[in-house]
Amino acid sequence: MIFGTYAQDEEYLWKKFRAPQFDPCTGIDQDTAAKEIMRFAELDAPAPIVKARAFEFLAENLQIEVDPHDFFPAFACWKRRPCPMSPLLAELRKRIPLQQGELWGLLNQSGASNIWIDFDHSVPEWDEVFRLGFPGLLRNAMEWREKHRAAGTLDVAKEAYFEGIRITYGAMLRMLKRFIERAQGHDNARCHFVAASLQRLHDGPPQNFFDALQAIYLYFMFSEHIDHLQVRSLGNLDWLLTPFYDRDLKDDTFTDAQMREMFDHFFMQWGSIDNYWGQPVYLGGTRADGSTQVNHLTHFILEEAAKLHLPTPKIQIKIAANTPDEFIDKVTALIRDQNQSIVLVGEEGIRHIMTSHGYTEEDARTCLIRGCYEFGSRGRVHANTTGVGHLNMLKPFELIFNNGIDKQTRKPVGVPVPPLNALNSFDEFYRLYIQELDWIIEANIKVVNDFEAHLASINPANVFSPTIPNSLRTGRDAFDDGCDYNNSSLLTTGFGSAIDALSVIEELVYKKGEISLEKMAAALNANWEGYEELHRKILTFRKRYGNGIPEVDRFAQMLSRTLGNRINGRPNSRGGVWESSVHCAKQFIHQGAKTGATPDGRFAGEEMSKNASPAMGADVNGVTALLRSALAIDAASFPGDFPLDVMMHPSSVKGADGLAAWRQLLRVYFAGNGVAIHFNIFDAAKLKEAQKNPEKYSGLQIRVCGWNVRFTEMAKSEQDMYIRRAESIIE
Amino acid sequence: MTEARYIDIKRFAVHDGPGIRTTLFLKGCSLRCIWCHNPESRFPQPELAIHYPKCTCCGECAKVCFCHKIINGVHEFDRQACKACGQCTQTCPSGALELFGRTITVNEAAAKLLEDRIFYGNGGGITLSGGEPLLHSGFCTELLKKMQDEGIHGAVDTCGNVPWSAFERVLPYTDLFLYDFKCADAEKHRRLTGCGNELILENLKKLDATRKNIEIRMMLAPEQNMAPDDLQAAGKFLAPFKNISAIRLLAYHSLAHSKFRAVGHPDTLPDVPSPDAETLDRAAEILRSCGVKKVVNSLN
Ligand code: SF4
Ligand code: SF4
Ligand code: SF4
Repeated sequence: MIFGTYAQDEEYLWKKFRAPQFDPCTGIDQDTAAKEIMRFAELDAPAPIVKARAFEFLAENLQIEVDPHDFFPAFACWKRRPCPMSPLLAELRKRIPLQQGELWGLLNQSGASNIWIDFDHSVPEWDEVFRLGFPGLLRNAMEWREKHRAAGTLDVAKEAYFEGIRITYGAMLRMLKRFIERAQGHDNARCHFVAASLQRLHDGPPQNFFDALQAIYLYFMFSEHIDHLQVRSLGNLDWLLTPFYDRDLKDDTFTDAQMREMFDHFFMQWGSIDNYWGQPVYLGGTRADGSTQVNHLTHFILEEAAKLHLPTPKIQIKIAANTPDEFIDKVTALIRDQNQSIVLVGEEGIRHIMTSHGYTEEDARTCLIRGCYEFGSRGRVHANTTGVGHLNMLKPFELIFNNGIDKQTRKPVGVPVPPLNALNSFDEFYRLYIQELDWIIEANIKVVNDFEAHLASINPANVFSPTIPNSLRTGRDAFDDGCDYNNSSLLTTGFGSAIDALSVIEELVYKKGEISLEKMAAALNANWEGYEELHRKILTFRKRYGNGIPEVDRFAQMLSRTLGNRINGRPNSRGGVWESSVHCAKQFIHQGAKTGATPDGRFAGEEMSKNASPAMGADVNGVTALLRSALAIDAASFPGDFPLDVMMHPSSVKGADGLAAWRQLLRVYFAGNGVAIHFNIFDAAKLKEAQKNPEKYSGLQIRVCGWNVRFTEMAKSEQDMYIRRAESIIE
Repeated sequence: MTEARYIDIKRFAVHDGPGIRTTLFLKGCSLRCIWCHNPESRFPQPELAIHYPKCTCCGECAKVCFCHKIINGVHEFDRQACKACGQCTQTCPSGALELFGRTITVNEAAAKLLEDRIFYGNGGGITLSGGEPLLHSGFCTELLKKMQDEGIHGAVDTCGNVPWSAFERVLPYTDLFLYDFKCADAEKHRRLTGCGNELILENLKKLDATRKNIEIRMMLAPEQNMAPDDLQAAGKFLAPFKNISAIRLLAYHSLAHSKFRAVGHPDTLPDVPSPDAETLDRAAEILRSCGVKKVVNSLN
């Protein structure tokens, strides 16, 4: 039996990416392979070829399996950290002459920023993968090589670029052959079914619904698990799969139930991989004629996702004015039922942002959603934004109140700080704050521009490049400077906390004169010890971001515009530009840990606010006030991304009335150019109960930032944080 | 400027009329329902509430006012002596002290209610509730008129136990009345709310005759007002009305104990379980069998 076996297969699927076993006679294991490929470091060849040869070795020698319990083949490189290619790439990286290593170290150690080389944000042009298939992508690339040769533009770098693709794609096809042979060797109907699909993919583009799923999975494994480049979206899945689904149903190739089961297996691959940052897919959108792209496959995918109830894949849903009410209600009802892997993104806000930065409305309409909730152009023109650096918006306070010395490194960071008593007005304080921020921004850009100039040698994107037409046209690496737009994004941590800190200083120090800067400095440097009364006073200070108070929200406007003007459009070293983003991923915890106490009442080492959201518990006026604060910001300041987290109590969205009100809330937020919004719907009592009886609540998920985690798997301190937060929300 | 005492302003109020609303809760009520969920709203005068679960007994409040004392680690409060000036609320670091009954002018209230106007859209608006808002009918009239001038839908959530003249004042400016219906029998009503229901039922009839949109709200509590007899009597009374757009059944729950304690009122909450969705469904069936249409179970 091929179908109707999901329940029996589930156990295998869970183990597949956690504790798989391979038949040793199929090849070598991941660790041995990682050591073996180090010898390619000796190869006297350009980086794309060195990497391609290593890829080829892995494709030909890694252990494999095609298990009767699974519709998708197993690769021995199931472990992701480190990926077998990591040590080799680390070796290659050592050869790159970096000028700014010391500054990079200072930024990261101080926590003023946190920068690493981004290999995390590629999204292939899935239309090309589907149109050409693996052999077609190879053929197409080779045709481009010949065009360059004929035009006389095939220089040494381009030759290496195309040769890297040739070796890599050739190896991918040979690996497919290995899978086919392995599958055929099993006396099992499903294995033979899989083998036939793999054969079709070996020979050309996907032919049916199953081939389409298989192609996505295989591409993902080739790129992310072997070629060391994350695939940050499985694509606009409903839209990609619709033609296959419709045809297969019409031709009687598969029934709806069969396709649902294949799809469950497909999603379970990522359920099993279970990265904390989750695997994105996106749904919905708008057609060229302005009507909604939500269709039967959108519903199909949502229904299967709800049934599986996995923290990942995480599903991003594009919402526009044309999105039907019933569909929005279905989505929010799922979120209310604790399907927190769903995030909503507003097409109107994206259009506003993208067209503010020179993209066309058509680019915005067809944009992809990747990573946590970032958007980027695809379709006719492609953008490959890297996330490089996290601007710590609280660090300047530590520096100002500690004489310009960073507490982590005990080294001077930022601009020189005058004596505090010279800061006679809030104006002067604010000016200094901005100067400190500027210093970090400049240092961040300097460091990143230094290493990104070498991106194609650091990690050549041999699997990714041939899916991007402009990359082939120009013979340039698609993750370096081969896309139409090659941008670098500077993320932000502690945006809301910084606003609160400024608000406290303006009000209590300068307007009311209740605290002197010197006393504030003493309290902060003592981490509030001995200053409990002052600390309590600040904790009751209500003029904080997230409460819809125009006087406070003006800081959000000032800061977002300042960041936008300082960062957006600055040239990076890949022919593209810098983009400001108010997204922070996990850094609100990591950089919080490296930042001293701050005037908003935060203790040293505590987390700071994340994304465009207020600090935990700072918003006490309810969700509408929170959204008003966020909407005070011009989203166009943040072309890198503008996400907001919202927690609501179940009672406020119960019943059909609750859903209708929630829908209206979303419509207003999106019409006002809000972009990404995700919800956590729970009450403190339930979280406490789950903390006490984890066994009963293993399904309870929390949306942390751009990803989900199981509540019961969080550290107690993190759980407590969410409980405190839930206690402060208004019913 | 007309002013009134209020206890709270709730935004994203989605159960006080259609759509997204902001609800202003005014202070003072002419009934004393045993199941009152807002005991802090009943008396017209300001009251200090102490949310004991939040109090850490830090003693900060005792430094500013003698009404507060920390004795053997326990927070003692002299309510008799308290003038409800609200000063101590500023000092509490835990947010355990709250003053109910601050005054608000019509203009201030209007500004607050308009803050969320972008969210109201076509379906939402504002609701005046309490307590009994129509005890402040002058205030309500001015405020509702302002809302009407701004094109904002205005609802009044009333127990109906006010002189008809109060209704008459707000009528031209009110789009929807949320009208509580506690029980049809006058004697029982007196026992449950401290007051007979003659005026309430009379006002409801008059209101229906004005052809204003009315939504009836029935809070049902086991052993109190939801026996088949109670429901049949209610159904018979309500069936002939013409302008009732819905009869919404709400479930009693006994979660207000801490509020009674906070404002120091004797706790009268009946110790009965909260009815579940099926129980309300059965109640809805009885009402329908008496010819009442448009019964809505709020738990579904
Ligand atoms: S009418 Fe409402 S506010 Fe007044 S006592 Fe009854 S339940 Fe309380
Ligand atoms: S100040 Fe607040 S927390 Fe402290 S004793 Fe008074 S009520 Fe309790
Ligand atoms: S409200 Fe005024 S009188 Fe009452 S306890 Fe507080 S400070 Fe004292």
